[in-house]
Amino acid sequence: MSAGRLRAAIAALSLAGAGIAAYLVYTRYSGAAIFCSTGGCESVQNSKYAEVAGIPVAVLGLIGYAAILVTAAAPGPMSAAVGVALSAVGLAFSGYLLYAQLGPIDAICQWCVANDAVISLLATACLWRFLREQLLLARPAPR
Amino acid sequence: MGKASRSKSQRRLVPSPAGGPSASPGWTRSAWLTPTRALLIGLVVALITAGALIGVSVAGSSSSSKPSATTVTGALATDALLHGIPQRGNVLGDPSAPATLVEFGEPQCPICGAWARETLPTVVRDYVRTGKLKIVFHGISFIEPTKDSDRALAALAAAGAQGRQFQLLDLLYRNQGEEGTGWITDDRLRALSDSVLGLDVGRMLDERSSDATKAQIRESARAAAQVMGEHLRTPTFLAGRSGGQLSLMPVSTVDQLGPQGFPQLLDQMTSR
Repeated sequence: MSAGRLRAAIAALSLAGAGIAAYLVYTRYSGAAIFCSTGGCESVQNSKYAEVAGIPVAVLGLIGYAAILVTAAAPGPMSAAVGVALSAVGLAFSGYLLYAQLGPIDAICQWCVANDAVISLLATACLWRFLREQLLLARPAPR
Repeated sequence: MGKASRSKSQRRLVPSPAGGPSASPGWTRSAWLTPTRALLIGLVVALITAGALIGVSVAGSSSSSKPSATTVTGALATDALLHGIPQRGNVLGDPSAPATLVEFGEPQCPICGAWARETLPTVVRDYVRTGKLKIVFHGISFIEPTKDSDRALAALAAAGAQGRQFQLLDLLYRNQGEEGTGWITDDRLRALSDSVLGLDVGRMLDERSSDATKAQIRESARAAAQVMGEHLRTPTFLAGRSGGQLSLMPVSTVDQLGPQGFPQLLDQMTSR
């Protein structure tokens, strides 16, 4: 995959993740019903795990996806490295929230599972992009 | 890799005007901060950030034993849940709503807290906001130390005089500690009250010992004794058509208290 397509894929995944997060932020502050086929969305969104220090997790996710989107827009290995770091934070925290759903909360929210899938693909794409940029750097400059 | 992209990458590797080979715009290979180092630093920062987020979340979620006296979570969610709904004393919703739900709750009761956090949002959204139902809350005190629950009930009743009882109650349950651990302190109640939009905290604190506050607490205790006798248990719910005879809701399973089961039971009780 070309660098441009890889960055486009990262941007698309970031937008998908931001869309999920934005929907959860909207339902949280508007009081609108959450569309939920798994039946556990309300329990998860109203649990203590849905906030970190008073900030809704969905808001943190929205900020994180926006930041990764910025790294996708910027070319070069530095932005690729920042993208890997940001997606690693998202992946680790999503893993923790998945544990919370399966354990203490005992309810599954489909939106969180969709987010887990997006952040997993995003972390893979960001790492791929970084390794690809590294390969380009390792090549000797043409004479 | 395609021909076009190959030539693009080769263009990136031509020597920079400064003399050194340049890998990409804004990046020189001679710089101390190589991509590998940047990645390592980034991953260390990521590890610390993720650890901090998880640590704060774990601390917040395990705060059920004895929450911080001043940290309040869920204030915005509480405001979003109840904003714009008419409220008077211990009644939430349109006073002329065709159905009534009476809740007997204890501030330290963990199941009351779980119901408020997980099921009340559905009830408010689908029944109270739509004008179908009003909720009457009767706070009672029987979990030791009862002086803690009494302290909360006085604050709730005083907040009710300003039409903010349900906001304070919702915040209390969102920040609930483990029963019997002494988490309901004056500092805690003050911090929770400070997070209720539109509540005059000074007036609320003054009115905790007013005659009106005492009268509401007595009325709730009397209503609870009438329904449950000496064997108080919470949460206990009555429901039915407004103005008619309200019946005890036969809640016997956890599912019947949940956001799916409770509305079904409520529909049965209020359609009779």
